Amino acid sequence: MSEEKRLHPISTVINFVKQLKEAVIPLVVLLFLNRRGQETFFDYLPLIGMGIFLLVILVSGILKWWRFTYRLEEGELRIEYGLFVKKKRYIPFERIQSLNYSEGIFHRPLKLVKIKVETAGSSSSLESEAELTAITKEEANYLNSVIAKAKKRIKETNEVLLEEGTERADGFQAEVEPEEKVLYKMTIKDLIIMATTSGGAGVVISGVLIFLSQFNELIPFEAVMNEFVEVIQSGLLLVAIAVFLVLLVAWFIAVILTFIRYAEFTVKLIDNDLVITRGLLEKKQTTIPLNRIQGIRFNQNILREPFNYTSVTIESAGGSVLEKDSNTIRLLPMIRAVEAVPILKQVLPDYQWETDFIGAPKRSIFRYMFWNLLFITIAIVPVSYFFFPAGLFSLLLYPLVIGLSWLQYKSAGYCLSEDQLTVRFRVFDKQTVYMKKKRIQSLELRETIFQRRGKVATLSAVIKSYSTGSVNSVSHLDVEDVEKVMEWYEPEGQRSQRESSQTHNELNLE
Amino acid sequence: MNRREPNKRISERALTVWKLYGWINVAVVGILAAAVITLSVIFDWPGWIIAAAAAIPVVVCLLSVFVLPVIKWKRWRYEVREEEIELQHGIFIVKRTLVPMVRVQHVDTEQGPILRKYQLATISISTAATLHQIPALDIEEADSLRDSISALARVAKDDV
Repeated sequence: MSEEKRLHPISTVINFVKQLKEAVIPLVVLLFLNRRGQETFFDYLPLIGMGIFLLVILVSGILKWWRFTYRLEEGELRIEYGLFVKKKRYIPFERIQSLNYSEGIFHRPLKLVKIKVETAGSSSSLESEAELTAITKEEANYLNSVIAKAKKRIKETNEVLLEEGTERADGFQAEVEPEEKVLYKMTIKDLIIMATTSGGAGVVISGVLIFLSQFNELIPFEAVMNEFVEVIQSGLLLVAIAVFLVLLVAWFIAVILTFIRYAEFTVKLIDNDLVITRGLLEKKQTTIPLNRIQGIRFNQNILREPFNYTSVTIESAGGSVLEKDSNTIRLLPMIRAVEAVPILKQVLPDYQWETDFIGAPKRSIFRYMFWNLLFITIAIVPVSYFFFPAGLFSLLLYPLVIGLSWLQYKSAGYCLSEDQLTVRFRVFDKQTVYMKKKRIQSLELRETIFQRRGKVATLSAVIKSYSTGSVNSVSHLDVEDVEKVMEWYEPEGQRSQRESSQTHNELNLE
Repeated sequence: MNRREPNKRISERALTVWKLYGWINVAVVGILAAAVITLSVIFDWPGWIIAAAAAIPVVVCLLSVFVLPVIKWKRWRYEVREEEIELQHGIFIVKRTLVPMVRVQHVDTEQGPILRKYQLATISISTAATLHQIPALDIEEADSLRDSISALARVAKDDV
């Protein structure tokens, strides 16, 4: 198929709206400039300017749509675009990791999708990414199948060259037709629990407060205060009801926001790809090839912990740098830890999910406490001093910090198996990260002078996550444990060599 | 079981260079301090400001010329073995880093004007997610190290 194709014309509207969104602030400023009475020609200038501006972005949107063509040719997705300078972007099929679909409000009535072409995350990933703003679903599926077939062919010819153990299911994949398996569907109950514990309600409340504080001068606070005092006198019950109502509304908004983002959250396993679909108004589909997965992270916030709920995210290499909210992919946004494991076993059978953590030694409790207390003291002392009587309330932070430090100490731990390192640590949320040895980019042992004296050290492992790395550190482990992990990480066969090279040190360099 | 330190040190000329950097630091701070002293004489600011402005460059000088570079140099060790690179560095926090050769994606050497004058170079080792630098190596050492690392680094077929 080599004919040139255009996107659906609706993409002009989508582009127009997008441009408009970006230009909204200058437009509003212009409107305000125009508030004076319209008397002379010059008073109309801002309005005219605005009209011209809108016309320009509309026309340029249409032209852009007209100039944007794509075609499949010689094993490449070839895109040509550009208003004045024609740009060509050719992406070979084997470089394409996945096609991610999403459907906005404009797409859905017309049965269209937006497609993001995700490529391997090399340093040039920004260059080779592409986006098809609006094409029909059939077209999208057609593209997908062509690319999948082409990739399979390339893989088969390359089979001989592949190193052992690259992809377990290579042979399997070549023979069997795409197999679809639904792994997980989020229930409404889970969605509601997620919204409740996400802190989203808190964000909404503070948002409302900030919004109100903008009207500081409009609202006669003194009068309100007087009334408030009266209300209190008339009964605490009323206050309680008011507070409850505010909380209820905030909670309700949080639930709705969560619904919009996560409704119909489904995880499917298709061939060797994980496919996640979600969203109420805008449907989003994310595809993650299994062999791009660098590690799995369990994240438990403090509210969710008592109920043993957790969110499971994937650290994946490559993918879209442009997409902001996809820094980590939520595989299971809200699930009981015990239920997560069977699902993960189906996805990644070679990971070891049962873990037996070796924690930090008892002598580390003091270290966890000390640093936190030091930091909090630095904050508390000036607050108590400058806001004398009321500032003393900040002293209440001490028990909280002591509690947090204790939890941090209890959470710290690592677990080692033959090819996997699992670490558990906490800043506020408790995090457990499962990493395969071959996915760890580098490992570090860190010790301060104080830690050295106490024979403890910090273990820190980096795995690739998108175009950067994610650093996972466990503080104040027994130094012997950390050294054990370092030794485990050193490539095989080196160990014995090292012992013999201890005598003649320069051996390996030359 | 104490882990053996990596066996190579960086060039002794690094110490000279770092001391030079320290002096540059002192010069900058000194100019600022002179400005503050001048201002406080003109505007009759309290005496302790003059004292502080005079003391700070001295402290900076002591630290960034005589103390820190020496500790830094003593701490810096590296070792390039067939299958991994091991680094040790850090003044207050000692870091021991292991980078397997199969993870290395590329190696660069770079040289600023000061390093060039002393025939030194910095070597940067990049993996898919991290960047590790060995500062101020002898230029020949750096070049041969770069070549041997890039020869040893065969990026595994696994996706990063």
